[in-house]
Amino acid sequence: MRKIIVVSAMPVVTMVLTLAAGARQATPSSWQRLEGAWVRTDPEGSGSFGGLGANIPAARLKPGVSMSGGGRGARGAGGGRGAPPTPADAAPHKEGDPYIAVAQPCGGGAGRSGGALLINPDSGGVHLVISKDEIVFAGERGGVRHIYMDGRPHPSPWLPTGAGHSVGHFEGDVLVVETTGLTAGGVPGGGVRSPATRLIERFQVAPDGRTMTLTYTWDDPAIYEQPHTYRYIFDRAPGDPAYALEEWCDASDPIEKQSIVPPKQIKGGGN
Amino acid sequence: MNVAWRLAFLTLAGVALSAAITRGPQAQGPQATAPAAIAGISGNWELSYDSRRVPKAKLLPTVTQANLTRHANMDAHAIRWCNLMGLPFVMDSGRPVDIREGPTAVIVVAENVPNPRYLYKRANHISADIYDPSTLGDSIARWEGTTLVVDTIGFHRTRGITTIPGGGYRTDKSHLVERFRLIGDNVLSVTSTWTDKTVFAAPQTYEFRYYRLPASYEPRAGLPCDPYNQDRADFLGDPLQPRPPAKTVR
Repeated sequence: MRKIIVVSAMPVVTMVLTLAAGARQATPSSWQRLEGAWVRTDPEGSGSFGGLGANIPAARLKPGVSMSGGGRGARGAGGGRGAPPTPADAAPHKEGDPYIAVAQPCGGGAGRSGGALLINPDSGGVHLVISKDEIVFAGERGGVRHIYMDGRPHPSPWLPTGAGHSVGHFEGDVLVVETTGLTAGGVPGGGVRSPATRLIERFQVAPDGRTMTLTYTWDDPAIYEQPHTYRYIFDRAPGDPAYALEEWCDASDPIEKQSIVPPKQIKGGGN
Repeated sequence: MNVAWRLAFLTLAGVALSAAITRGPQAQGPQATAPAAIAGISGNWELSYDSRRVPKAKLLPTVTQANLTRHANMDAHAIRWCNLMGLPFVMDSGRPVDIREGPTAVIVVAENVPNPRYLYKRANHISADIYDPSTLGDSIARWEGTTLVVDTIGFHRTRGITTIPGGGYRTDKSHLVERFRLIGDNVLSVTSTWTDKTVFAAPQTYEFRYYRLPASYEPRAGLPCDPYNQDRADFLGDPLQPRPPAKTVR
């Protein structure tokens, strides 16, 4: 009798369990909330580009591993509009020196980062378009990342690029993206990456749909003592409706070379 | 024993039924919001040598050869300095385009163009009071049966490549209507109609037919464009900033 009761309950229990599992999968509303325009914010109130980097926990590198360049923030860099210096490499500023020396504006053509900028988004707006087999992650500063959702593996061989090769899937409402094949370089928080390094990004939209948390985890047993993790927070881009701005930069325009020189400071303060 | 086998069979049937339910559209992954028969607009598409039907444009008498030459020179300048090219160039850039439809927008990514097009699925354009004119303009899209109709305004007057296939050029007064429709499963027809009361005596309409690339195709990185490469600068020249003639050595 007991055996009959247990066996009778099995179909019902099975259906309940599998339906519950199905309910944890992504729903159309979660994709729609992820899609759209986002802008990175400064939730800690650091107040400066350098401050944003300072809030990232330091990477724990294995002995003998050191930063070999890459990352962002070289003063007077030849490309783009010149990223501001990070605290680690900022030279003492002399009065009258420009903060940003623009020697070659729009270097490499407007926004031609090939998606590399989107591995570490800055203050430019970013946009996600979610379709069944591919998610496109694009930046207003130019460049696009293709995130393949159809279960394909990372290709081999693969020539490393600034954006690497990305595949993704949903875990409930969270978009999980795995990227490998990145060119060697630096990582926020003093980290380092090689083409073998694996980056896991988790895109999670808050229940109210107004903010998105992007959690980065860099994993490479040859480089890190433990996976290096930090997060960025994004707000919905402003505007009703929001739309992608076009960042225009004509390298032939003399105005693009105008550097930002702070005004002479009044010593002693006061009015 | 017979009862036990029957109940075991029911258990297996229950599992199969639950799996069918949870593998339904809501749980599998994002679906295009287009009707199922035309969900195939997403994919990588490429123009071939037999892909274009472009008639000669009917231009207003006020569009003189000097106007046309000026715009051609502006286009050469944009290429020389690696500027954003915009429309119509993006739709025939020499490399494939990756088109993906999401719930709120369609994105069109040309491989060698750094900024993609966004075709927003909404009824109204951004107010001209706040919209910054751009090389791509402001595009809104809607499905009319099996055709995606895209309406674009808000072009910048001078930036990018302004020449339009068949003749004429885009201005800040230009209006573009495109109709995307599948022909079978593997050909995408895009019919473009430009109107501009300062340029065209009649709407300029042309059609491109793109071939679908295999599902396994992955867009390649864009080719480099360095405006500070002197060899490249010498190769292209710039009609808007001609170099001084070389000094003659006696």
